[in-house]
Amino acid sequence: MKAFLMQAEAALRGVDGDTQSVGILLRQWVMTISIFGFCYGAAMGSFSCIRPERIAQVVFAGVKVPLLLLCTFTLSLPSFFVFNNLMGLREDFPKAIRLIVSAQSGLTIILASLAPLSLFWNLYMVNHTATVLFNAVLFGIALGASQIILRRHYRPLIEKDARHRVLLRAWGVLFAFTGIQLAWVLRPFVANADRPVSFFREEAWGNAYIIVFQMIGKLLGR
Amino acid sequence: MWNWIKYLDRILRGEATQPSALRRGEIDQPTGGLAVIIVVLAMVYGLCMGTYSVFRGGHSAYLAAFATVIKVPALFFLTLLVTFPSLYVFNALVGSRLSLLSVLRLLVISLAIMVTVLASLGPIVAFFSASTSSYSFMLVFNVVVFAISGIIGLRYMLITLNRLREASLLSEELDQAAVELQGEVPLPIGTLEASQGRATHREVMNVFRIWMFMFSLVGGQMAWILRPFLGSPDSHFSLFRVRGSSFFEGILNALRHLF
Repeated sequence: MKAFLMQAEAALRGVDGDTQSVGILLRQWVMTISIFGFCYGAAMGSFSCIRPERIAQVVFAGVKVPLLLLCTFTLSLPSFFVFNNLMGLREDFPKAIRLIVSAQSGLTIILASLAPLSLFWNLYMVNHTATVLFNAVLFGIALGASQIILRRHYRPLIEKDARHRVLLRAWGVLFAFTGIQLAWVLRPFVANADRPVSFFREEAWGNAYIIVFQMIGKLLGR
Repeated sequence: MWNWIKYLDRILRGEATQPSALRRGEIDQPTGGLAVIIVVLAMVYGLCMGTYSVFRGGHSAYLAAFATVIKVPALFFLTLLVTFPSLYVFNALVGSRLSLLSVLRLLVISLAIMVTVLASLGPIVAFFSASTSSYSFMLVFNVVVFAISGIIGLRYMLITLNRLREASLLSEELDQAAVELQGEVPLPIGTLEASQGRATHREVMNVFRIWMFMFSLVGGQMAWILRPFLGSPDSHFSLFRVRGSSFFEGILNALRHLF
């Protein structure tokens, strides 16, 4: 437990675990994301937990946050690997993955540190839309902070070879593009108290970008 | 099979196309095995694309997915079949030293890069196929993915062409040094006279650039002829659709439906 917490702190402070094998690092990463991600997800999901029978919604939201990060990472990894190869940076790929994994651990730790705020908000707020927005702001803060960790981690690589900057941006685009859609599929994270307890929404299989396009279309008066 | 995968790995790392590996400006390594890998990777992408019809269900969904698995490699090879002869002929007309086999190998290697990028984006496409019902979105998304892989593959082709040129120049210099050692002095080139080799190389590059444009156009239209790849949820399964309209009109219509 102590070793796990120390490793989590190292991820947060940007200390690179270069000495660990990729296998151990990935195991620790999955553990960190699962535990800290669950903490934040559960806090977020506690919004509609006004009756004991809705406790499952808290667990669902807790499971969804690590699931979102792990699945987005897995889906984006093959193309990131190929792009690293094509840019001639294959030798640095294990190092790049270490840094990304470490920054993602940092993201969930930051999220977990914001969990009490979310919990506190849920104690007095009854407005669903306001809660969704509040959590979006918290998520945005955590994402911004994790970007700082990632840039700090990546600096030595970029100093070594400027092509890493392009790859870091490519990773950001891939991760965000896939993550937004996955988050849409995995909704609700903040369940509405009027709806029955469920892991997915009945209309879950939709497309986030289509909704955005339709909104733009409406705005343009089409 | 393992050797073919290792060769693809060397191509991806750029080792197979380093000037030192391109002796005398030719690609020595046979690419037959690579063609098999291209088919497999294209089929993997076809499978990812085909998940759209599987998740939309309906009559013959699996048959439609299977047809897509076959059609994606067919799209690449048919486009190559249509465009390769003209590339070789024009390449030879402008005086390129690339042999027929070298041009073909260069194209196969570039195609390998294209389908590898395509297959690596496959999981994301499969995920969107599973979670999206909008046909227009998936159509545009797949076109974007194909365009990304196409741009990367064709850019790789131009870079390799330049490296072939470098390797060829190096080999020429070595030959010239050997001739001078034997006491024969080549004719000097005038101050305002363009180096024959350099002029030719520029023309070869232009031929390849025009060919790339043609490859993209033919590829797009070939995809239109081979459609449906995704299979519109509103229409029944058919191996091919009736002829008519064009690729660009189809994309414009899909974009219009998005908003």
